[in-house]
Amino acid sequence: MEKPRAGFYSLTGCQGEYLTILGMEDQLLDLLGLVEIVEFKLASSVELPGKVDIAFVEGSVTTKKDLEYLEEIRRKSKILVAIGDCAVWGGIQASTSGTDWRDLMRSVYGTDENLYGFLGEHKGLSEVVQVDYELQGCPIEGREFAELLIDLVREVRPVLPDYPVCVECKVREIPCLIVERGLPCLGPVTVAGCDARCPSYNTACIGCRGPLRDEANVSGELEVLLKKGYDRKTVLDLMSMFGARYKDVAKLLGLEG
Amino acid sequence: MWPSCWVWRGDLMREISVEHLARVEGHGSIEVVLEGDEVKRAFLRIYEGPRFFERILIGRRYYEVPDITARICSICPDPHQVVSSRAIEKAMGVRVDRQVEVLRELQLISDVIHSHALHLFFLALPDFLGYEDAVSMAGKYPETVKLALKVKRAGNAIKETITGRTVHGVVTKPGGYTRVPRSEELERLARQLEESIDGAREAVRVFSSLEMPSFARRSNLYMAVDPGEAYGYSGDYVLVSDGGRYPVERYMELTNETTVGHSSAKHSSYKGRSFMTGALARLLLNRSRLYGEAREAYGKLEGKIDDANPFSNNLAQAIELLYSVERAVDLINSLLDEGLKDELMVEVSPRAGKGIAAVEAPRGLLYHHYRLDDDGRVIFANIVTPTAQNAANIDDHIRTAVGNLRGLGDEELRFKLEMLVRAYDPCISCSVHLVRLRRE
Repeated sequence: MEKPRAGFYSLTGCQGEYLTILGMEDQLLDLLGLVEIVEFKLASSVELPGKVDIAFVEGSVTTKKDLEYLEEIRRKSKILVAIGDCAVWGGIQASTSGTDWRDLMRSVYGTDENLYGFLGEHKGLSEVVQVDYELQGCPIEGREFAELLIDLVREVRPVLPDYPVCVECKVREIPCLIVERGLPCLGPVTVAGCDARCPSYNTACIGCRGPLRDEANVSGELEVLLKKGYDRKTVLDLMSMFGARYKDVAKLLGLEG
Repeated sequence: MWPSCWVWRGDLMREISVEHLARVEGHGSIEVVLEGDEVKRAFLRIYEGPRFFERILIGRRYYEVPDITARICSICPDPHQVVSSRAIEKAMGVRVDRQVEVLRELQLISDVIHSHALHLFFLALPDFLGYEDAVSMAGKYPETVKLALKVKRAGNAIKETITGRTVHGVVTKPGGYTRVPRSEELERLARQLEESIDGAREAVRVFSSLEMPSFARRSNLYMAVDPGEAYGYSGDYVLVSDGGRYPVERYMELTNETTVGHSSAKHSSYKGRSFMTGALARLLLNRSRLYGEAREAYGKLEGKIDDANPFSNNLAQAIELLYSVERAVDLINSLLDEGLKDELMVEVSPRAGKGIAAVEAPRGLLYHHYRLDDDGRVIFANIVTPTAQNAANIDDHIRTAVGNLRGLGDEELRFKLEMLVRAYDPCISCSVHLVRLRRE
């Protein structure tokens, strides 16, 4: 059987998704052997022209170049997978959403000029093109990537978690960090898949896998944490780190009506 | 009659560019313009999108900072976490105890091991052996790739054990760690490291047997942190190869950024000269602090390590890889001998202050500088990364290389320049948020 052709593309981000994949040393050669790699700049000089069966795209749409590159990838790809929080929600850089781009440029680059072809904000892929699957996380979980890749190669429809981190916390019998310890844990509004990593390491979920799309009740979470004594800014800062572009968080931040 | 320059200019003007550097972290290109024998322009251009990290940090509470700065980079999230924690502790007058210091050293080492293994075997070696990547190299060199994966795995195992994840660990905070590893986990880790050391030996063997290109030789000035007694990756002073030794608080004098005409990036200089930071700089400045097998390896290879040749950086990385594996085992054993304390983090009471700290990321010196207000919120942040400091030196080496290789055809020249930039192991995602573009 001919191997599907896969491309691994990067927009604006830290390439953490690909580092996670390259960090799966024990399975790496087998995994990458499932596909014919047509592009994977971080790991290879290969550059093959033509159609792509599976395109993995990480990074946010931040520059004009990102946008053009993404549109080109979409045109030539059968299945497009947004991989990582930057590609799904715009990443940590999207926490500046709502700030005037001139202000951003001034504060970091000391100029009012639009450098780098900056689009003014950092977007997830689905705001710009049609996305077939979203693999969330900052960074993604290697195990989830492996399962997704295997499913796509076998032409099986992948199943991704549609429940919050709390479910995994309960399964692991970790006492609730909000209820028992009063910590500002974002587990209730964050999509599962990490096996409740942070709570299991004795620290509150910071929401790095992004909000559970269309399901996360962020105003409920805000209310709970206000009652626990946290001020509004602290909670919204936390929520905006990886979820500023989720519609309900944006609403709380006053970014849209 | 045509003026001669008109006739010849078209023939002699040559533009060469490597559009997107492969096997380098981030997005960059090399651009060269030759006019006759003269190198008009030669530089590494960085075109990574802006992410505004210093701005994201403003207004954030001190305990969020390591989680945010980790996201600057995925190859070196650990140095960013450790150095931001240290800088904040300095600002708030907090002292952590020895166990935290040792765990942090292990965290820095974890990054050196995984990053050097990645760079040497996966990013650099395919060039020398004529492959596009390590996956295709694995067919002919299965043992080497297997050993490489094993030692890289050991570096990531340290990250998993101490920080909870291979990329963007979750427990590093100002004041210490939210979870201390258990003794059984550390014992297992020490065994894994011991079993992986053959991968580090393989790196030394392979890279000392390769012929290192000499087309980019050019005298270097270099800098590294003063690690104290043993070879290591953090300290409060910076050593310079001209004999200088500066407290990290004076980092502005060492990284002094200026705009230069030929390049798009602001460049660092020290007393008006470009300089190099990274494995080669560390090895040359701190070689007397090596011990064990790495010290022996250095003794044998001393003659091959040429301080003017950026390709020697690969050999320096290989020796550091060997040292780091040995050192990690020693540190873990010392923790186990002393008995692990399942201690709580040092209580941090928010207060206003200013803190500057430096560590060695795999690619070199990394400075973080913060000012905090009474509530422990960030009011100022400045981050100076190794690749930004190396940028001017990289350009100088590109120019030297182009001067020496101008007789080559475009394709070959392009390949050689790509290889040269790769020897620096640049980390473009890190560098970008403070690279100031020149108005063009």
